[in-house]
Amino acid sequence: MTAERKIQRFSLSWRIQHFLLMVSVTLLIITGFALKYHNTWLGRFLIFLEGGFEARGTLHRISAVLLFITAVYHLIYIIFTREGRAEFKELLPMKKDFSDFVESVRYDIGKNEKPPMYGRYSYKEKIQYWFFFLFVVLMILSGIVLWFHNYFFGVLPKWFFDLSQALHSATATLIITFLVLWHLYLVHLSPSNFPINTSFWDGYVSEEWLRENHYLEYLAKVNPEGKDKGEDEQ
Amino acid sequence: MKVWILIFFVLIANQANSQLKNQRCFVCHGVKNFGIVEQGKFKSLYVSREDFEASVHSKFACVSCHVDVRVIPHLTKPRKIHCLQCHFEGNVVGAPVTAKPEKYKESVHAKAVAKGKNAPDCKDCHTVHYVRKPEDPNSSVYKTRVPELCGGCHQTIKEEYYNSIHWAGIKRGELSSAVCSDCHREHDILPPEDPRSSLNPKNVIGTCDKCHSDVKLMKRVGVPVTNPEAYKESFHGIALKFGVVKAANCASCHGYHDVLPSRDPRSPIHPANLAKTCGKCHPRANENVAKGKFHVLPGEKESGIVYYVYTFFKWFTLIVLIGLFTHIVLDLVGHIRRKRKKASE
Repeated sequence: MTAERKIQRFSLSWRIQHFLLMVSVTLLIITGFALKYHNTWLGRFLIFLEGGFEARGTLHRISAVLLFITAVYHLIYIIFTREGRAEFKELLPMKKDFSDFVESVRYDIGKNEKPPMYGRYSYKEKIQYWFFFLFVVLMILSGIVLWFHNYFFGVLPKWFFDLSQALHSATATLIITFLVLWHLYLVHLSPSNFPINTSFWDGYVSEEWLRENHYLEYLAKVNPEGKDKGEDEQ
Repeated sequence: MKVWILIFFVLIANQANSQLKNQRCFVCHGVKNFGIVEQGKFKSLYVSREDFEASVHSKFACVSCHVDVRVIPHLTKPRKIHCLQCHFEGNVVGAPVTAKPEKYKESVHAKAVAKGKNAPDCKDCHTVHYVRKPEDPNSSVYKTRVPELCGGCHQTIKEEYYNSIHWAGIKRGELSSAVCSDCHREHDILPPEDPRSSLNPKNVIGTCDKCHSDVKLMKRVGVPVTNPEAYKESFHGIALKFGVVKAANCASCHGYHDVLPSRDPRSPIHPANLAKTCGKCHPRANENVAKGKFHVLPGEKESGIVYYVYTFFKWFTLIVLIGLFTHIVLDLVGHIRRKRKKASE
């Protein structure tokens, strides 16, 4: 029992994955944004900041490699480690997520007295995970085509490059929208997390926070009976 | 200054009986095979009176320019004259003054002349005695005559140009089509290496763009007008804009003197030739590069699958944006309401 009543929510591996994702995606967005908005003062400023047009491209590719490594790391994690498999299972969408969503809206508009009881990951976090999963797959695939266009010129038709470019650009816009709106809200601006939920760094949340936001996980972790029932070793 | 005053007086003195004086000149110079033998070669000294009288200088006396001819017949060879004798700032004879001579001084031609090479100055293009306004179809620099004029020296390039769609346009009577001077400029012709040149890789786009972004003109000649815009948004276009001159510009793929539309089998952008054209920079390019459109704008329906993907994502992003935003607002409103309720209890 910890005196401060802190509970570990994220393992070190989880936090490293998040950190790599955070760094690579931020760099990719900044360098990609500069290219997409090259006509605006911000785009020009970013290109200048990134050391010119060609340096911008190099930086984007270095960040892409980092994202790729992160993605492979994550795949290994969810396939080959016990902890990863358990986490992935928690992230799979379930029927309960849909009813949770309805319940949460009812709670917000005052129809329900109590919020829905969320497990380890609420539907809000699952949406985020799966959107990101899809984004990263799309970005890596289209990015590889664009990066190695000289190789793929002999393999793929011309329209495929145009498609990859459009897809890369459109998905990026969607990612930015999603990050700025949803992720920022979930971990920074939402009342229970404001100004920041620090568990991405140290992995710990307060017992009270867990009880408020992930009641079922709280039960599983604090209540020994729940612990026996849960497949999660911690 | 002395010379200037002299010119002035000579002009005044000659103005009144200029016709008579010219008539006296044409007694000899109006004879078709009038000439002299110089260094073993026959040199014609014939001046067509008809053509001279149709020129912009018709109202001037021959001696207005040939100021050292005091007696007729003159016994010595008159000095060479220069256009700037009159066409200078502040002249009293009303000779139009423009920045063109100054621009010319910067050009490759002027620099070659200065080095003693055989290169044109004013008279080589504008002629000596028959200068007409460029709009005059009989002018030596009238648009349709420019290729022949430049081709006098640049012969192989002239032949290449005569194969081009631009020349075909001129022949068809589409005078907006490009001749040499439209891309190379008229007086300030600079080498492509010069950053000020209209042919510098960084300026080529603007040079082609001048006509190829003109909606009315392109519609008239049936050429897609969005191509320059699409190019500027492409990787090549953006890279070039930021100084990566190895990136392809218009001329890299389309060629220049003998530019032809993609339907022409001789064109480097004909589907059958694309592999070779792209292959100049992308060594693995093969017939795959011909499968798809070029100058694709994702927002245009003609772009096919690219358009549909782009449009899907556009709406999807908007829906996601609205959906998430609504959810966040709902959450916050609920939070505030519950807080107030708690406070009032």
